Amino acid sequence: MGLPTAPGVGVKRRLTVFAAVALSSPPVSAQAPATHVLIVSGLSGEPRFAAAFHDAAIAVCDAAKARWGVADSNLVYLSEDPARDPARIKGRTTRDAVAAAFARLARRTAPGDIVFALLLGHGSGQGSDSRLNLPGPDPSAADFDAWLGPLAGRTVVLVNAATASGDFVAALGGPGRVIVTATKSAFERNESVFAGHFARGLTSAAADADKDDRVTVLEAFQYARGEVARQYESRRLLQTEHAQLSDSALARTVAFGTAALPTDPRIAALLAERRVLEAELDALRRRKGTLDSLSYERELERLLLEIASRTAAIRAAQTGPKP
Amino acid sequence: MSPPVRLAALGLVLCFAEGNGPAGQGVPQSPAERVRALAGAGRLAEAERLAREGGPSLTVALGEVLLLRGNRAPAESALSLAVRNLLPRYRSGHAALAELAAGQGDRDLARVRAGALASAYDRSTGEGWTAEDQTAAGRAYVILGADDPEAVRAALRVFDAAIAADSTLLEPRIRLGNLFLDRYEAPDARETFERALERAPGDPRVRLGLARVLAFEERSEAFDAVRQSLAANPALVPAQVLLGKLHLDAESYDSAVAAGARALAVDSTALAAWALLGAAAWLRGDSASFRAAREGAYRKHPKPVEFPGAIAEWIARHRRYQEAVRLAEEAVALDPESPQALGVLGINELRTGVMDSGRAHLERAFARDPFHVWYKNTLDLLDQLARFRTITAGRFRIVAPPREAELLALYLGPLLEEAYDTLAARYEYRPPTPVRIELYDQHADFSVRTAGLTGLGALGVSFGTVLAMDAPSARDPGSFNWGSTAWHELAHTFTLGLSGHRVPRWLSEGLSVLEERRARPGWGDGPTVGFLAALKGDRLLPVGRLNEGFVRPRYPAEIQFSYYSASLICEMIEQQWGRPALVAMLRGYRDGLATPDVFRSVLGLDPAGLETRFSAWVRKRFAEPLGSLSPWDGKGPPQGELVDLIREGQTLLAAGRQEEARTQLERAAAIFPDHAGDDAPLLLLARLHADRGDPRAAAEALGRYTGIDESALEANRMEAELRERLGDLAGSRRALERMIWISPYDLANHERLAGIGERLGDHRLAVRERRAAIAAAPADLLEARYQLARTLALAGELAAARREVLAVLETAPGFEKAQMLLLDLARRRPEGRER
Repeated sequence: MGLPTAPGVGVKRRLTVFAAVALSSPPVSAQAPATHVLIVSGLSGEPRFAAAFHDAAIAVCDAAKARWGVADSNLVYLSEDPARDPARIKGRTTRDAVAAAFARLARRTAPGDIVFALLLGHGSGQGSDSRLNLPGPDPSAADFDAWLGPLAGRTVVLVNAATASGDFVAALGGPGRVIVTATKSAFERNESVFAGHFARGLTSAAADADKDDRVTVLEAFQYARGEVARQYESRRLLQTEHAQLSDSALARTVAFGTAALPTDPRIAALLAERRVLEAELDALRRRKGTLDSLSYERELERLLLEIASRTAAIRAAQTGPKP
Repeated sequence: MSPPVRLAALGLVLCFAEGNGPAGQGVPQSPAERVRALAGAGRLAEAERLAREGGPSLTVALGEVLLLRGNRAPAESALSLAVRNLLPRYRSGHAALAELAAGQGDRDLARVRAGALASAYDRSTGEGWTAEDQTAAGRAYVILGADDPEAVRAALRVFDAAIAADSTLLEPRIRLGNLFLDRYEAPDARETFERALERAPGDPRVRLGLARVLAFEERSEAFDAVRQSLAANPALVPAQVLLGKLHLDAESYDSAVAAGARALAVDSTALAAWALLGAAAWLRGDSASFRAAREGAYRKHPKPVEFPGAIAEWIARHRRYQEAVRLAEEAVALDPESPQALGVLGINELRTGVMDSGRAHLERAFARDPFHVWYKNTLDLLDQLARFRTITAGRFRIVAPPREAELLALYLGPLLEEAYDTLAARYEYRPPTPVRIELYDQHADFSVRTAGLTGLGALGVSFGTVLAMDAPSARDPGSFNWGSTAWHELAHTFTLGLSGHRVPRWLSEGLSVLEERRARPGWGDGPTVGFLAALKGDRLLPVGRLNEGFVRPRYPAEIQFSYYSASLICEMIEQQWGRPALVAMLRGYRDGLATPDVFRSVLGLDPAGLETRFSAWVRKRFAEPLGSLSPWDGKGPPQGELVDLIREGQTLLAAGRQEEARTQLERAAAIFPDHAGDDAPLLLLARLHADRGDPRAAAEALGRYTGIDESALEANRMEAELRERLGDLAGSRRALERMIWISPYDLANHERLAGIGERLGDHRLAVRERRAAIAAAPADLLEARYQLARTLALAGELAAARREVLAVLETAPGFEKAQMLLLDLARRRPEGRER
């Protein structure tokens, strides 16, 4: 599965429109932009870090395959220890291997596609010389910038969940790119817990703040940031990592997983009706301050019941006999 | 935490010119040295005679000795003569005159005298001033520091300069130490006195300084230190006052009065000694003696602001907060500018819930004494408190950090209501309401609220109808039970209120611990191996001295042992005389009876008789475990068969010899089932059974264990899981509910309990837990709110469910589960009813 056919990236607004149909398995439209996933897990240093990085990586791997519809050929997981999970890990993480993976992405992706790169591990350096620690030479932010250059026209989401990753935002941020880092600067070098929470946010419904069955990058980021804070607080520790994100406007529009265009005309009609009702609801919410609470509540309930009834009808159409 | 006896630092601690050794040491040569040695040894009459014979060169020494003996008018004449004629040591005489005026409450005269001396020092830039002269200048700055914070800094500088000029001189070190301690800087004070002690190990005033530090730190060694001081100089009035205050703290009023009388025998003008007598009389309800002390103070001093001020401070340590406010108001009326009086007033107003006025008085005190740590800490805390949220729950005002106030109030409100009704029935008394309870997410804040400083070990405090305690977030999960803590503190509200705040500490604590045990199975302190070994080794305090275990424990565990001992005494009284006896005892204290009289009138026993009865009772009660323990010698861990059994059980368990381990641990559990902690036999047995795949036996062992350990978070978690797996939902529910009182922040726990509530058909429980899940600020708030709406619908609360689901869908109209619930609610809505 991919995103709906449209120029540009999978925009949240369109995703919302098709959210309900994605719940079952209706016919899928052709020519959806593809999603490509690259996971780079660097040097761990300790078994517990190796386990944590791998857990985050496989959560994303499995969600990419099972729920985002990412083809095997579009999913690359590199790790310091390929023997840990040969079924998933495609190769050893070295600077050359990462460079090759990005070069491959440049060849295989088309404008409009989404490229999601997740970097796990420990970082060092600062500014454009910020680095991800890998076996052998460490690639710098400048290297990543060079590797991302040929991906112009794609929507790139690069998440550097490593420690001391903060300077990647300034080094890599730009049009068509969402850069997420686990830390706010290169000086936050203590152990980071961001990766696990971000992976969980991206791959579970808990981060879906508006309950539209899509988790945007922004929602996953906000979820992870909140959970990181909660974890430090519950352990009564001073928080030593503060995640950041480069382009919240773009991040709000990028979601993984697919919605499909309905082919059943009954469902298409119900969706159209529901879109109209949702627009009315939007308008009502904007007028909330001008209405007395009773009138507002009555109209809110009416519209929500109408919307809910359309959803129920769509459900019924999906599970019932085809026309 | 003990406020120091600030009076002692004022002018009445007299200095003498010093040579190169401490007073009383070596063979004095000059008449001045001999006067000093005699005065330092407390032989004041001889010192005075010698000084009189010494002519003009000893005029200042004569004035100083006269002051020590309370002969203020001739002292003032002698000192004035010395100052006018620039006689030897006249600058010290000048400082003594300023201190004399300050001690008599004549702030203006004190300021004039001190100002003249300080100005002279400033003009000279210290040129031609000996170390003793510099010390005199420092003393002047201390007096000026009452109005001018900069003068306090100057005093520190000048004392340092004096020490640098003559490192053998004790006086500036003692003055410096006192200056630190008066502003609650105990570590600096300790260091200063310890350095002085290296130079003069036997000096009574240095010993006194250290004793003051130890008393400030609530350490039992303070008694020894002050006694050492008095052994070297029995006429050292501030040492007698400190000894009296220590006795006062331990509620040994006769001894306190005796110390005060000894002080007054030396110096009948000693205001602190009059205050000591006044405080003892006040605490005993002896109005005639109080009047006599008051008259003594007023007779000797035109404006004895420190008499009511010190009494207010001291009786507040005995939980008499309202009365402390009244006395502090009297002190403020005598001197509206006194930072000490304003501070005592403000702090005790805050303790009685008079927040705005308390803050205002504290701010005035702080403006005059910005170096005072207590004032500063408390004002910082009040800034923090202003951001807290107050939730009214029946008869209670729950004040807590905004992010957890709702969650805590959800549980605490009903618990406190239940506690109030239970305790009101038990004590036939209803305290005034609302009761304010503050919960702090930082232990340091709670500590400041209680004692002005960080580092207090307690979990909670009751000032009467104002309670403060650690929120569960203030400590690591599993370190305490916040429900039993709240119940304990509220029990104090009843025992304090019923006794007019006259209940002795041991009885109030004992009843509070007993009430905890009555509240829920497992709550409250239980017996420990350490306690029993100490009992067997006769290392527990007898009933008559139990208060000492709370205020100045001889060894760290003695505090906990004293709490438990006290609770057992109460339990025995309740068992043998009935609950009305406990109520009658509290009423006896309210009516002004002393402890022996209370015992005699209610129990028909004197303290020794009660001790004998208790000793037999407690030994019989714990006969079995006592028989398996060796008497504790006060050193190292407890020993005995019981300890060996547990140790062997653990070793066998580690070696995988489960059957043998089980035998040993079951024997240990049979001997002493109440043993809690990581090495508890029941806990080890539970793990053993779980490892062997016997969940039923594991759950049974855990059930017994969680019934004796109120903070067993993991044991409860394990029990909840096992019981749910075994289909014992009610048992699982009980374990989950216990967990909430240990740590209420676990979202999964609330969700699980809500689910169990639904399965049990206990919708009220389920709804509460759904609300708790929301209050715990989950990452997925809309899901939590949807679950609440769903549970409300299950509970038949359709209108509330509808409101909740509408709110959810207003935010997330595409939330399909919520949409379906809304449709369902609409279908269930009665015909013709709008909502």
